[in-house]
Amino acid sequence: MSEIKVLIVDDEVEFAEALAERLELRGFQLETVDCGRDGLAALSTGALPDVILLDLKMPDMSGFEVLVEVKEKHPSIEVIMLTGHGAVSGGIDSMERGAFDFIMKPVDLDELMEKIKLAYDKRSSTD
Amino acid sequence: MSNYFSKFNHVISNFLDGVDKGENYKHFRLMLYGAMFIIFFVPLLLATGLSSLEHKKLLAVREQEQLKASVEGAQKTIGAFIHELQSVVRFVSREYSYEELLDQNNASELFAHLKNQYPGFVDFGVIGPSGIQKVYAGPFRLEGYDYSEQDWYTKVLVRQLYISDVFMGYRKLPHFVIAVSNKLPGNEEYWVLRLSIDYETLQNYVATVSTSAIQDIFLVNNKGLLQTRSNIFGEILEPCPFYTHYKQGETIANVDEYKGIKYLRSYVQINDSPWMVVMLKESYMHGENWSSFRFRLRMIFFGCTVLALVVIVQLVNTITNRLREADEKQNQALTEAQFTNKFASIGRLAAGVAHEINNPLAIIDQKAGLMTDLLEFSEEFDHKGKLTKSVESILDAVQRCKVITHRLLGFARRMDVTFEHIDISDLLREVLGFLEQEALYNRIRFELSFAEDLPMVFSDRGQLQQIFLNIINNAIDAIGKDGLITLSADLHDEENIDVNIQDTGPGMSSEIVKRIFDPFFTTKELGKGTGLGLSITYGLAQKLGGNITVESKVGEGTIFTVRLPINDTRKEGNFNE
Repeated sequence: MSEIKVLIVDDEVEFAEALAERLELRGFQLETVDCGRDGLAALSTGALPDVILLDLKMPDMSGFEVLVEVKEKHPSIEVIMLTGHGAVSGGIDSMERGAFDFIMKPVDLDELMEKIKLAYDKRSSTD
Repeated sequence: MSNYFSKFNHVISNFLDGVDKGENYKHFRLMLYGAMFIIFFVPLLLATGLSSLEHKKLLAVREQEQLKASVEGAQKTIGAFIHELQSVVRFVSREYSYEELLDQNNASELFAHLKNQYPGFVDFGVIGPSGIQKVYAGPFRLEGYDYSEQDWYTKVLVRQLYISDVFMGYRKLPHFVIAVSNKLPGNEEYWVLRLSIDYETLQNYVATVSTSAIQDIFLVNNKGLLQTRSNIFGEILEPCPFYTHYKQGETIANVDEYKGIKYLRSYVQINDSPWMVVMLKESYMHGENWSSFRFRLRMIFFGCTVLALVVIVQLVNTITNRLREADEKQNQALTEAQFTNKFASIGRLAAGVAHEINNPLAIIDQKAGLMTDLLEFSEEFDHKGKLTKSVESILDAVQRCKVITHRLLGFARRMDVTFEHIDISDLLREVLGFLEQEALYNRIRFELSFAEDLPMVFSDRGQLQQIFLNIINNAIDAIGKDGLITLSADLHDEENIDVNIQDTGPGMSSEIVKRIFDPFFTTKELGKGTGLGLSITYGLAQKLGGNITVESKVGEGTIFTVRLPINDTRKEGNFNE
């Protein structure tokens, strides 16, 4: 299995970087950006990620807005939403808008990796 | 109608606004009683009293008029009889001359004829100008009697016609006399024709005008002596106690009392006689009929009063109770709203705090996780083991914080009504999480016993949390210090599960148990409980399609049983109504 490319879009830079580093240690290929615009920009420049971890609450663009745009332009990229704990409804809404799944913060790493792999499998099967 | 009632309610509620509502209800109740009594009794008393008085007055006038009419009838009848007797005496004195009557045979024959016609005639006498009785026809031997000194003789000479009172006289028998004087031809001297009539004749005549409607009728002379027998006052020539001087021609009627009986008395003078006819009738106003009528009237009044009292008491109770209920409902609604608002505020606050903490917590979590990863992939170095343990401790602490934020968010979510499948044992553990610190400080233990394979219930998590939080909180309050709360859940039947919350508190009497879910009922100290917690809890359980029952024994403790439907088919939309 080639490295799964993951883009983390979260305004909590410390959180995103730590998570990225931990995932890298586990064989994932990571990139992080701290806002929705940068996230969308990243999609137009370099190689496309397989899975995006997208925070729901961000100051410039909300996770929903980024999600909608991502799914419009790159429907094959799977998006996993990062939501605040208890914000189940936000997660469900995201899935209705095309997100693959959602996971609540603080994130359980094993659960997250499991979801990333499932998302990647789905993307691979639809390619 | 309900509008009027609510307006009335509003006015009364304003009146009742005060510190001590119980006292105000008492005053209101008394005021209402007073008003009702006045509204009912004043018209009833006036109607009964006035109609009774008017009736009495009318009856009295009618009765007097009737008796007056009767006595005037009697006056005319007896007057006609006396007039007839006078005519007989006058006729004899005109038809026969003094000389003819001086013949004893003529006199005896004439008297025999008269006696035959009028059996009441006792005797017959012709008195000469000197006042000596010249001729006598009758049963006594009265020839030669000298009447010149007698009062009646003087009167007959003056008046020409004279009717005497009933008296005993020489005959020693009660009788009266009719006499006429006639002038002797050729000189100024007078002779007198005298007829004595037995008083029985008069008595019998009076008897004929008596009726059963009256109690007594008799004649009385102007000296107040009875001239005929009286049923009430006795024999003739006895004094009549009711004797009153009268005016000629006037009929009098008034009420007199004799031997404890009230009589209506009417009397009138009989023309050309020394007698007055008197009638007595027992006064209806003072008789049994009137008493019986008054008794019946009083009974009707009393009956109406009793009926009215019952109605008034019922009405006042109903009005006061409805008012109290409406007041309580209003207060309950207000306090419930406050209670709900308070919960909502706490919920929002908790959610806010949880979200704010969550982000830094996620950073700590990931950083500590990264540290663990780095330590794991790094070579051995000094204090690596200690560092690893420290990072693990940080991760443990993060885990505890996650549980706390999880609870806070769970608590906040209760305000959003959503139905979901809930594991009751998980939910109860979650609720205990909120209370375990307090329980720990008070040395209260929890024991959990959940049936295996307990089905999930389709219900609202927040509402259920609130229900159990309230009940368990109450159990902790009831125990105070040192005790045990046992939570158990099992299947009641195919459709319901039972959750039992048993405490080792002091228990409650059956009177308290009966009222435990009443709004504003509290056994807590003043100011410590609103008395609404269990009432709201009960309401919530009902809204969720379940119910709550209580068993308690003083000195042993209390068991609250919350019964919940497993599959509530109601939708969220319906629930929010």
